[in-house]
Amino acid sequence: MTQFLQQLINGLSIGSVYALMAVGYSLVYSIMNFSNFAHGGVIMLGAYFGYYYLTAAGLPFPAAFIGAALTTCLLAVIIERGAYKPLRERKAPFLYFIISAMGTSIFLENMVIATIGPTFRSYPEVLSRTPIQIGSVSVGRLDLTMFFISAICLALLVFFIDHTKMGKAIQATAYNIKASALMGINTDLVIIVVFALGGFFAGIAGVLFGMKYTVYPQIGIITNKSFIAAVFGGLGSLPGAVIGSILLGIIETITSGYFSSQYRDLIAFVLLIAVLVFKPSGLMGKVTEDKA
Amino acid sequence: MLKVENLNVYYGGIHALKGVSLNINKGEIVTIIGSNGAGKSTLLNTISGFLKYKEGTISYKEEKLPINPNKVVKLGICQVPEGRLVFANLTVEDNLMLGAYLRKDTKKIKEDLEKVYTLFPRLKERERQMAGTLSGGEQQMLAMGRGLMSDPELMLLDEPSLGLAPLLVQTVFDIILDIRKMDKTILLVEQNAYKALSIADRAYVLEQGRIKMEGSAKEIAENPLVQEAYLGAKV
Ligand SMILES: Nc1ncnc2c1ncn2[C@@H]1O[C@H](COP(=O)(O)OP(=O)(O)OP(=O)(O)O)[C@@H](O)[C@H]1O
Ligand SMILES: [Mg+2]
Repeated sequence: MTQFLQQLINGLSIGSVYALMAVGYSLVYSIMNFSNFAHGGVIMLGAYFGYYYLTAAGLPFPAAFIGAALTTCLLAVIIERGAYKPLRERKAPFLYFIISAMGTSIFLENMVIATIGPTFRSYPEVLSRTPIQIGSVSVGRLDLTMFFISAICLALLVFFIDHTKMGKAIQATAYNIKASALMGINTDLVIIVVFALGGFFAGIAGVLFGMKYTVYPQIGIITNKSFIAAVFGGLGSLPGAVIGSILLGIIETITSGYFSSQYRDLIAFVLLIAVLVFKPSGLMGKVTEDKA
Repeated sequence: MLKVENLNVYYGGIHALKGVSLNINKGEIVTIIGSNGAGKSTLLNTISGFLKYKEGTISYKEEKLPINPNKVVKLGICQVPEGRLVFANLTVEDNLMLGAYLRKDTKKIKEDLEKVYTLFPRLKERERQMAGTLSGGEQQMLAMGRGLMSDPELMLLDEPSLGLAPLLVQTVFDIILDIRKMDKTILLVEQNAYKALSIADRAYVLEQGRIKMEGSAKEIAENPLVQEAYLGAKV
């Protein structure tokens, strides 16, 4: 039982970071209907920026953290302007967007390899490694931090989407971009905001991931799992992305806890395929049909 | 108020509007009738700033209209699109409030919301319901109410009676007359030529991208060619 609780808590913590990444995929998908594979590259850069802000720049942790998030926020917007906006203006088919996204992702990864190099780097020890004892369960300080920071970010995001004018505009644009423009919504601005939000959370997730594991150019590949989680939950749906991520995190830690960590990714992929076979729109897929 | 001159619009190689000219005066109901594919929606979408055009001009209150949907809304022109396009994932009230997206006058917005609810009591009863769960007729009312929330001077209505039961069609046309009384000018695009001509002041007949006829609604309704093609009369 103790071991189960332990795994559950670890799963929640890793799942909540997946959720931070997954909402970035989902937000973009909900409006532009394509999977933004450049997102993994942005997360990777977030981990690097956090690392250098802490080490080279010597910033205190909170400043490095926010700094990394703001940097990737800007970066995500630059990617949108450079790689997707020209395609949107030409009304390119969605396949072009995916190709452009993949190209950007490969570019970012190789740019890091070419400039910084392929070596693994570990974050300095910001949080003490001694776990906190809650009853019989011991919880890592980092795991707790990951969970709380992610939960706060997600709560803020939900509030923003549900209770602000821009949030409603995002929901409207996700449903129908033409009708939104007819309301006077600047849909181009909505797209910028969506990339900015995704980029900001990517930075936070990148730093948390970097602290948990290490930083290296291919870390974006791990972030593919958050994409799996987003598809699992239903691409385009925010609650779907969060629920899918938490479930994936828990399934992963339970698998590695009770079987072997080598099966972890295998199970994640089998799960994705199974969901796609039985429910192609995911657990809470976006509803797109119009009622005439 | 709105003046379209020699407008030509293309979709790639398809020449959808061929030298269309028309004008609308303040306070009028002007209707454009035409069959499927005549170019009616293309015309409204061009006015609304969705489609680029190379030849021709569109001016509103003597100034060139920008080719940019949100600027067009800001100038007081709103379109209620074909097929309604209500935001199914949002509540009725959210939909209406999105209509007022560009407005800042909170007090006036509240008043206008009440006006819309008076005009469409059904919407008031369903204000917290998701728009996607409304019936087709209710969605049409929501789309019109949402358009009114932008406090437009000119409303472009694209086939508001499409797919509605006869009784509801009548309701929709009655409502258009009510909207005119709210000091709005209306450009009404319809396939239901009979009803449209019965409430309009003036009319244009659009065929294959060309204006074929124009005149007072009465003249057009009495024209034998129109009667045969659009009103189902045998000549
Ligand atoms: N996005 C598009 N791409 C290419 N051709 C288009 C597009 N939209 C419309 N057309 C073509 O332009 C012509 C005019 O279409 P439009 O939608 O304006 O007609 P309409 O009068 O509104 O018809 P309906 O009464 O069926 O709504 C048609 O021949 C149509 O096939
Ligand atoms: Mg049409």
